Amino acid sequence: MKHIFEHHMHNERKIIHLNVADFAVAVERVCDIRLRQRPVVIAAAGSARAVVYDMSDEAYQNGVRKDMPIKRAQRLCRDAVILPPHPDRYKRAMQTLCKQVLPYAPLLEVVDDNGHLFMDVTGTHRLFGPAPDIGWRVGKEVRRSMNLAPIWTVAPNKLVAKVASRLVKPMGEYIVAAGEEASFLAPRPITLLPGLERVDILHLWDFNITKTGEMAALSLEQLAVPFGKKALHLYELARGIDSSPVQPQSATPPAVRFSHTFTDDTNEVRRVAGVVYWLAEQAGIALRDQRLAARRLTIFLHYTDGVHVVRQATTKRATANDFQLFDLARIALKRAWTRRVRLRHIHLLCDRLTFPPAQLELFPAVRHAREKREKTVTAIDLIRQRFGRESIKTGRRLAA
Amino acid sequence: MNNHQTATRHDCRLLVGTSGYSYAEWVEAGFYPAFTQSGKMLPLYAKVFPITELNYTWYQMPRAEAVERMRRNAPDHFLFAAKLTRTLTHEIDPREWQHQAESFRDGISPFIQAQQLAALLIQLPPGFDRTAANRRYLAALLDALQGLPLAVEFRHVSWVHDQVFAELERRRVTLVAVDEPELPGLFPPLDVVTNPDFFYIRFHGRNQKGWRSGNMQKKFDYDYSDAELHHWVEQKIVKMAGQSRTGIIFFNNHVAAQAPKNAETMINLLRREGFQVNILV
Repeated sequence: MKHIFEHHMHNERKIIHLNVADFAVAVERVCDIRLRQRPVVIAAAGSARAVVYDMSDEAYQNGVRKDMPIKRAQRLCRDAVILPPHPDRYKRAMQTLCKQVLPYAPLLEVVDDNGHLFMDVTGTHRLFGPAPDIGWRVGKEVRRSMNLAPIWTVAPNKLVAKVASRLVKPMGEYIVAAGEEASFLAPRPITLLPGLERVDILHLWDFNITKTGEMAALSLEQLAVPFGKKALHLYELARGIDSSPVQPQSATPPAVRFSHTFTDDTNEVRRVAGVVYWLAEQAGIALRDQRLAARRLTIFLHYTDGVHVVRQATTKRATANDFQLFDLARIALKRAWTRRVRLRHIHLLCDRLTFPPAQLELFPAVRHAREKREKTVTAIDLIRQRFGRESIKTGRRLAA
Repeated sequence: MNNHQTATRHDCRLLVGTSGYSYAEWVEAGFYPAFTQSGKMLPLYAKVFPITELNYTWYQMPRAEAVERMRRNAPDHFLFAAKLTRTLTHEIDPREWQHQAESFRDGISPFIQAQQLAALLIQLPPGFDRTAANRRYLAALLDALQGLPLAVEFRHVSWVHDQVFAELERRRVTLVAVDEPELPGLFPPLDVVTNPDFFYIRFHGRNQKGWRSGNMQKKFDYDYSDAELHHWVEQKIVKMAGQSRTGIIFFNNHVAAQAPKNAETMINLLRREGFQVNILV
């Protein structure tokens, strides 16, 4: 319990969670004001089995959810406008949002390009006044300059600020004072708690626990019986204890990431391998462009039934070589792809980046094989530089 | 308004407190002990003052469950003045405001039920001048909030008008007296009492440089001298107390905990004048 005690001894933190609800839709509505009058669903075009990327609140109220097949979404919300996703547009909007917020927050964490960010304004009251005033000002500024209406919440940590945002969604504000975390959370359904996995929720429901307060009534020892190692996490979650820092952008470990959504969900081995190769190839190009190499590769698999699996593969010798990255990707894929259920989405991430290794291999045969691969990749890069990215493809990619 | 002047200062109960109580810098300034969490401040504050003005209700529509939690955090005799939410004063949506007024009523209902609501402060923005449209809106807002102990704070000088005071008196709505910097266009410090139930004074500080800086830390950074406060007691409060049963006085110069310091000075000055201060009945 030592860390819990320490948590309470620290000066209280002031965390603001800023969230533009249904970010992709909100951005599309800024680009085309006619969309404001109608429900909007964003999904990749071109396939009946495409899934929902984001939706407006009206569509949500009609039962549309993320990752739902677009056909079903259309049935549920017949008057919805269907738009293709524009990730670059959302990224630019997110960058603009960060620019608005940066002057107020020494620490800023951008969760993803999905309209969420955390600001740690602890200790800034002498400069900018109380945290609720900062939240209000930032919200007003974003509304004025970007025509977006963010939710803002103030709390002593990210966990409670996030729950408060979920509570007031799609718009509003909420202020939770330090010391009120547990009483604020007590009446909330456990489904509002971030970081509580579906399997845990089902398990808690088995015990007839639906409210956070009911979960908080259990001691650490009691939680340990059904949840084992997860008990401490659940214990803290129920009490609104979260000491995780706001991770500034510069502190986010550098990584390159690429993803692919199958227009038709698949479990065809050749097709999946082709896509994974293509992702590894994209990652290799990005790494070489940045003169970096990766020591770890992660594969995120999203199955058609909503199950997500994440597995990794590491190498001692950092690489930016497409073939070596694909070897790592194959290992990670083998670890992750254990079910017969079809796949909907694959995400590949390369991190633990470093400058490419310079030392030579000790054994000539190994060195020769590596040099050969590197020469091949260099030749491919040269051809692409001259004739374009699509000018040369591997057989594996054609299979995808 | 002269018909109320028969009361004496001994008949008027004065309540002195601060605008807001949850400030991190009040820990640094020593008003609260080191490491006091904001959620634990109200019980400590209530040991010093019997009333507070809630500022957070301006930023956030109050919710009954949170208000009830807060109410339980203070003694039963403690009183609250709640500031009306910004969507009814500063950011008015003509299609939404009536619904917002209902939500506000619902939100503060725990205070009303427990008889701990001392006043509802309607602070209007500096740009809210006395136009026909604004007069109509204010009248409709006062109607929507009828039955609550209302106090209206004007920031624009155009509202200094006998007809305005007469209408407030007819409605039994309190005109808030303000102390703020002497700047063109601002509402002046008046001692007009429009409600025999209570008068309401807000001391914002007189920081001329910071007032229009857009930064709260500069705007409300001011330390009243004893002479300035004494002048208020002698020149205005004595007269106002003769026309009301209760007087509510708040200090809003929260920076560096100057508000509680000045409030305590004010309490001492008023007691010296023979007033009953911060005695709850």
